[in-house]
Amino acid sequence: MSRLLSKTILILAGAVLTGSLVARSQNPAQGLAQNSASPSRSGLNIVVLDPAHGGTDPGARGTGGIRESDIVLDLAAQLKRNLESQGFQVMQTRTTNENPSFDDRSALANAQTGAIFLTLHVSSTGLSGTVRAYTMPDMPIAQARGGLIPWDQAQAAYLPLSRKLGDAIQGELTQRFKGSPANVQTAFIRQLRTTAAPAIAIEISSVSMQDKANLDRMLPGVADAVVRGVVVFRPSYVTPAVPGVPPGARP
Amino acid sequence: MNSKWRVRILIGLLAAVLAAAIYFPILKQRVKKQARVQQTSEEQARRELVQSLNANSNEPKVKAKLFWASDSEDGTLAPTIVELPLSNDPVLRAKQVLNTLLAGPVDAELHTLPSDAALLAFYILPNGTAIADFSEAMANSIPSGVQSEQLAVDSITETLEANVPQVRRLKILIHGQEVETLAGHLDLTGAFPVNGKAVALVVPQKK
Repeated sequence: MSRLLSKTILILAGAVLTGSLVARSQNPAQGLAQNSASPSRSGLNIVVLDPAHGGTDPGARGTGGIRESDIVLDLAAQLKRNLESQGFQVMQTRTTNENPSFDDRSALANAQTGAIFLTLHVSSTGLSGTVRAYTMPDMPIAQARGGLIPWDQAQAAYLPLSRKLGDAIQGELTQRFKGSPANVQTAFIRQLRTTAAPAIAIEISSVSMQDKANLDRMLPGVADAVVRGVVVFRPSYVTPAVPGVPPGARP
Repeated sequence: MNSKWRVRILIGLLAAVLAAAIYFPILKQRVKKQARVQQTSEEQARRELVQSLNANSNEPKVKAKLFWASDSEDGTLAPTIVELPLSNDPVLRAKQVLNTLLAGPVDAELHTLPSDAALLAFYILPNGTAIADFSEAMANSIPSGVQSEQLAVDSITETLEANVPQVRRLKILIHGQEVETLAGHLDLTGAFPVNGKAVALVVPQKK
């Protein structure tokens, strides 16, 4: 109980600082994301990078000793440099070997205005040297209550934008990494469900490579392709309409 | 009390503390071992019970369609026809196809589920939501990743869709418990659509 309470206070404090408000009740199912109180800046300005796993959770592990949690941290650092050179502000859910909760990671993106969310993964399986982008499958559009959208279905209103972002990034990845799928894939990814922003997962195959250097060599290409995809997507960014939320307000 | 007695009591206390320090780790290990044996035998019993469903069936063999990994296209499933004595009872039928799915195809490379995982229980609620309870190996032994976890769930839902029309949605439990993810990626908090893709992810509405 005290952990939840402190989490709520932390998220409220973070949200107030960034100029928009995300409110969470103690019951996550009744947690709601509230519209920005301040006038929202239009356009995509912020990219939230989420290097998955960390801390006691190494994620996928290869027989050659490759750990997913380490590789995604390296990828995030390279992405950050490339994105900043394109004029984006970059925020990371973690920069060290720690493991924030799924909700805390989503909360960072949900507290921003004009942000997209990229969760970064390396798989155990799949054709080595390929990269896939994923969005959530269809979700019921959540009816906002009193200008608030349910935390558990925060991604629903953003799905069309997430697909557009995923297709833009997958297109760039497929050009560079042959054998990758032509279109964005769908998967019920826990991290994406509670994220109130255009959000995708990017997964590289795989930790099963015997030599880590081969995987390391992929990272600059992945970072470059992802940033190109984000730049292609940038003009498509609009504030999505949410039932129950007045037009112009940020869900 | 003279000092001689004090020393004796002190030595006695020290000996007791020393004995406890030696004995407690041994006791702890014994309790843990006992719990492990009990859990394994419980799972073994359930596994045998479920597996006997296939062996003892007198039903005529029908063609069941099972979904394992495709050997031609990475990250996709391919249907395989397997002749099974499928029951007309939807719960028994679901158990039969899921146990065959768990046993896997001849080519181990095409497994979608961990070979050491077992189906512990399966129910269908009146609203068409099925509850499948798998042993912990389902979460612990599966290769971690979005692709592998989604393929595992898809192989279960597509196999149910092809063989058990009564199932509309599937809720997956691990050892009787609701878990947040399968192995760090796939969301298990809701129910997956089966038989009709229009039915989207059902997020539990907690009161």
